Amino acid sequence: MDKLPWVGVSVRRKEDERLLRGAGQFLDDLDEIAALHVAIGRCPYPHARIRGVDARAALEIPGVEAVLLGEQVIARTEPTSVLRPFPGSSRTGYFAMAHPVARYEGEAVVAVAAADRYVAEDALDRIEIDYEPLPHVVDAERALAPGAPRLHESIAGNLLVGSTSKVGDPAAAFAAAATTVSGRFRINRVTGAPIEGRGVLARWHDHSRTLELWVSTQTPHLVRAQLAQSLRMAESDVRVVAPDVGGGFGIKMCVYPEDIILSLLAIDTGRPVKWVEDRIEHFRACTHAREAVHELELAAAADGTLMAVRDRYVIDVGAYNSPFGPPMLTNVMLPGPYRLRDGEFDRRVALTNKVPMGPYRGYGQPESNFVREVLLDRLARKLGQDPAALRRKNLLRPDELPFQNISGALYDSGDYMHGLDVALDRIGYAGVRARQAEWRAQGRYVGVGISCYVEFTGYPSSAFLGRTGAGFGAYESVTIRMDRAGRAALYTGVSSFGQGTETTFAQVCASGLGLEPDDIIVHRGDSQGTPYSVGGFASRTMIAGAGAIAKATEQIRAKVFRLAAHLLGAPADRLEVAGGVVRRVDDASVQIALAEVTEAAFLAHRLPPGEDPGLEATAYFDPPVSAFGYGTVAARVEADPRTGAFDLQRYVLVHDCGTQVNPMIVEGQIHGGVAQGLGAALFEELVYDPDTGQLVNGSFVDYFLPTAADLPRFELEHLETPSPSTPLGVKGVGEGGTIGAAAAVANAVCDALSPFGVELDALPLTAESVWRALERARRR
Amino acid sequence: MTARHRIRVTVNGRSYERDVEGRRLLVDFLRHDLGLHGTHVGCEQGVCGACTVLLDGEVAKSCIMLAAQVDGHTLTTVEGLAGRGELHPVQEAFRDAHGLQCGYCTPGFLLGAVALAARGAILEGDALRAELTGNLCRCTGYQNIVEAVERYLKQTVGGATRG
Amino acid sequence: MKPAPFEYMVVDSAAQAVEALGRFDGDARCLAGGQSLVPLLNMRLMRPAAVVDINRVPGLDGIAVGDGVVRIGALVRYSTLERSALVQERLPLVARAVPFVGDRQIRNRGTLGGALCHADPAGEMALTAVTLGGSISVVSPAGRREIAVEDFFLGPYTTALGPADLLTGVSLPDGAGTAAVVVEHARRHGDFAVVSVAATGRVGPDGTWVFVRIGLGGVADRPRVAARASALLAGTRLEPEAVRAAGEAALEVVDPGSDIRASAEYRRHLVPIFVERALETLRAQVQTGAKA
Repeated sequence: MDKLPWVGVSVRRKEDERLLRGAGQFLDDLDEIAALHVAIGRCPYPHARIRGVDARAALEIPGVEAVLLGEQVIARTEPTSVLRPFPGSSRTGYFAMAHPVARYEGEAVVAVAAADRYVAEDALDRIEIDYEPLPHVVDAERALAPGAPRLHESIAGNLLVGSTSKVGDPAAAFAAAATTVSGRFRINRVTGAPIEGRGVLARWHDHSRTLELWVSTQTPHLVRAQLAQSLRMAESDVRVVAPDVGGGFGIKMCVYPEDIILSLLAIDTGRPVKWVEDRIEHFRACTHAREAVHELELAAAADGTLMAVRDRYVIDVGAYNSPFGPPMLTNVMLPGPYRLRDGEFDRRVALTNKVPMGPYRGYGQPESNFVREVLLDRLARKLGQDPAALRRKNLLRPDELPFQNISGALYDSGDYMHGLDVALDRIGYAGVRARQAEWRAQGRYVGVGISCYVEFTGYPSSAFLGRTGAGFGAYESVTIRMDRAGRAALYTGVSSFGQGTETTFAQVCASGLGLEPDDIIVHRGDSQGTPYSVGGFASRTMIAGAGAIAKATEQIRAKVFRLAAHLLGAPADRLEVAGGVVRRVDDASVQIALAEVTEAAFLAHRLPPGEDPGLEATAYFDPPVSAFGYGTVAARVEADPRTGAFDLQRYVLVHDCGTQVNPMIVEGQIHGGVAQGLGAALFEELVYDPDTGQLVNGSFVDYFLPTAADLPRFELEHLETPSPSTPLGVKGVGEGGTIGAAAAVANAVCDALSPFGVELDALPLTAESVWRALERARRR
Repeated sequence: MTARHRIRVTVNGRSYERDVEGRRLLVDFLRHDLGLHGTHVGCEQGVCGACTVLLDGEVAKSCIMLAAQVDGHTLTTVEGLAGRGELHPVQEAFRDAHGLQCGYCTPGFLLGAVALAARGAILEGDALRAELTGNLCRCTGYQNIVEAVERYLKQTVGGATRG
Repeated sequence: MKPAPFEYMVVDSAAQAVEALGRFDGDARCLAGGQSLVPLLNMRLMRPAAVVDINRVPGLDGIAVGDGVVRIGALVRYSTLERSALVQERLPLVARAVPFVGDRQIRNRGTLGGALCHADPAGEMALTAVTLGGSISVVSPAGRREIAVEDFFLGPYTTALGPADLLTGVSLPDGAGTAAVVVEHARRHGDFAVVSVAATGRVGPDGTWVFVRIGLGGVADRPRVAARASALLAGTRLEPEAVRAAGEAALEVVDPGSDIRASAEYRRHLVPIFVERALETLRAQVQTGAKA
């Protein structure tokens, strides 16, 4: 496609009309279908044997229809499959309900279906469960240490998987290096916390022996595949539909225990059953993310040239390996946009009595960016170099790309130095440096911090995923059907969870068919009637989806031209279509309305010989490579050395996500990513009490999501280097905003308080944590 | 089941008379008894504001009110803004500024903006952000929401006083 | 999270309310704004047998001045306090404190009476009442009585109210002509205070402070008046040395705990700093004549 009239246009979103009116259809809005409502009883202990469950009193409450117990679930289902295992991972045997042992506070132990949620919760109150608390461990390093309580019989030392990898000769590089720096960093446990929690509505169709599930999910097809496997059903007997989804961010992916529980209750009661996650359950049952401890070392020459990196880290994956488990991109993107050729990684994934870990926006990149960029600034301070100058020395230049980093990721295109320069200019870097001494003399501690990143978007082919043990492919698919009136219906398995796919897919499709986005109806998120889709995550949807749409529209356009050629008596290869009209490129008077062509296709009265009726296409696209976006964050803070409090005065992000299909939507995605990045950097943390093993702050009262008053204006600068290897030149954009936030702010605070020798190494950064860092520095 | 209470309430200009259990939450009454699904549930603790409605013209969180409490009162939900007709100016402002992504928190913000306009407040920047702390958004980072509300207030309140 | 079953009743008078509370003998809760109560009901952390809706009880929503006090009815909502010119003029400390409470929605519904009964150790209304001193009006089956504010807050979420007591209002000293400030450290805007300081006082004609009262929130099991710190400032001009001494003296009344928002150690560290900031703001208010 060389002319793409709707790509690069900030078209109004199709989603907005219904969402603004309050007419969006979210899971809990499906009142007409739901008959029974489910509440789930969850283990209050981090580790416990379930000695008995007595639900007799509950069943006597009027309106209570059914109770489902753990032993029934174990007998009737298979454990959940892991779709993205670290190679070599042990099996944790994650069933939808705990029996006979529960391994995290929040694990489902019993479920009740009743006339409404109020009655279902009354029923839970009357169910007597005899728990025998067992020793627990809620710290990853302690879990790996000898003598720790063992979570799974078959998994020694609570080590889900451990691996090491080495490229080049890091030992030699470290030995020869003029300088080394090291740091021990703690990444906080956080969760995506979309404002809409999860929900499931299950319906068993006895007449066809099929199951229909409505799920607030980003991945209907993956849920279907996993659900069928767990329930020992044929995949084609299961339908999964996503309604409008109120935010996903990676945590509404793949099958969850509740999907299986609701399916069994639907089968048992013969009635549609609905479960809506409340916020207290959400924190105890929806996947957590990111928690890790890194011991990172950098080796450098005297002039600051990076020689090698060593990262030894432990991820706290919680009690089970969830379908996606721990993030994959930590190692992969640790080298960042720098010239590094020697490195080694030692990664251990530890099981603890906490909620299982799953993917969350960034998928390992926010973590590795934080540890590397903060340590780089320490290196700069040790060498007496300016942090920007140190980075410039090591950033890859455009002529060095494509560049394969030490983890095998192939950076395709980008100008990292230009990104840095623009960020420094926008934040007024030189000006801040020039005035810092003067400000300090006035008792004002102003600092600026930088974070550079390369962003891995999409998956580099299904074959790659197969080689690395994934249970899904890298492709997307689409079916496009023209109707007689010349409009198009596009069917995608990707659901609508705020990312604007309904609009951007229509833009790409309209460009390919010579129509307008308003002429395209986008049907989404229903496994029935859409070709096999993977789903919305990993910033892959536009890369893979645009490719599928391009192929499908090309097939349709080719047939339109064949039909039009026949009707017009003109050569098919001299035709073009735009504005709903097919015309000769060299003689516009020779034309026919697209609607006439489509009608001809369906009436089939005057088809060219050998041509079938109809006008539709199904296409799959499997991206052969990943695309790498990049950016630089520059943050300015003013810090108070008495209290540790700091004011984030300015936040600049220069980013490049390749071609932007809808610039307005791209900017919104960046804003949202930055907000989550800053939320995890400055406010959020899921805290477990080491003595009780329970989650201390599992509610919106005590889990600090930032409000509008807590975040600054974000200053964005968009660069656009189209990817040389993706359809349209797009790169993924959904996750970039999260990656550089924590490091930029940490570096800014350390810069502001550098007269005191402050070093920061844990998230979130709070006034208290900065104060403690000041105290530590004073004592040194 | 405990005793039911007869309540009379006007919602979006229409009168309703219903019997409710004492413990029935206002948000559940609106959503499931009256079929007005535009008001959403995010936390049931009164933090996230997805359940925000206008109670006698002022914003209130319906997840921490009992349905029985609104007997004799007047409510506006998001469905009362445009009805079946054209979008309300506040909805247009959000659409044009891309002030929504998944749309789940949006009704609460829309009603908050309408309440500010009714009070004649032209707020912007930090002063406006301080008024919005009772509504959480996880998708937008707030920037475009702030822009949408600023535009709407300038146009509605500012425009009106420019007569 | 849905509430456990309870009996719901609307009462039309204080007498009816008190009768209902007495009948349920501690197993009934008053519903005014509900901004603290209903979340607890939803989480089933409270399971009262009855909820008594007092929103229609007449005569509890007034603000009146007289005899050197300002009387505020229990059902006065935060937003009413915020918009009241009378409060701005006569209770400047209350006016400074209210914007820190919750958010717009919570301030539209929540009541002063509810805040005082809830007795959150970090609550701004309790802090304000304790700093100003005054008395709390109560009605019970035995009749009316007043409880001095200093005797009202007994511990975290614990007051001197008995199971059949109805808080009907609070009387606070008329603060016309006083300076007032509230400063807080919190993890987020509008969030519960980690440490809060309320300070108020009056300057005499010779430029020295006739009195200063400092109250501290979030640093003990209930709001505390820093009595000796306050006393140190009488007769001074809030000079830097006096302010610093007051900040140090304020530590005498604190016994902070550690929680998800901050450690005890950090709270203790912040106390003198925030006391100093509050006092510096007071001094500046008077010097510039600023009331903001």
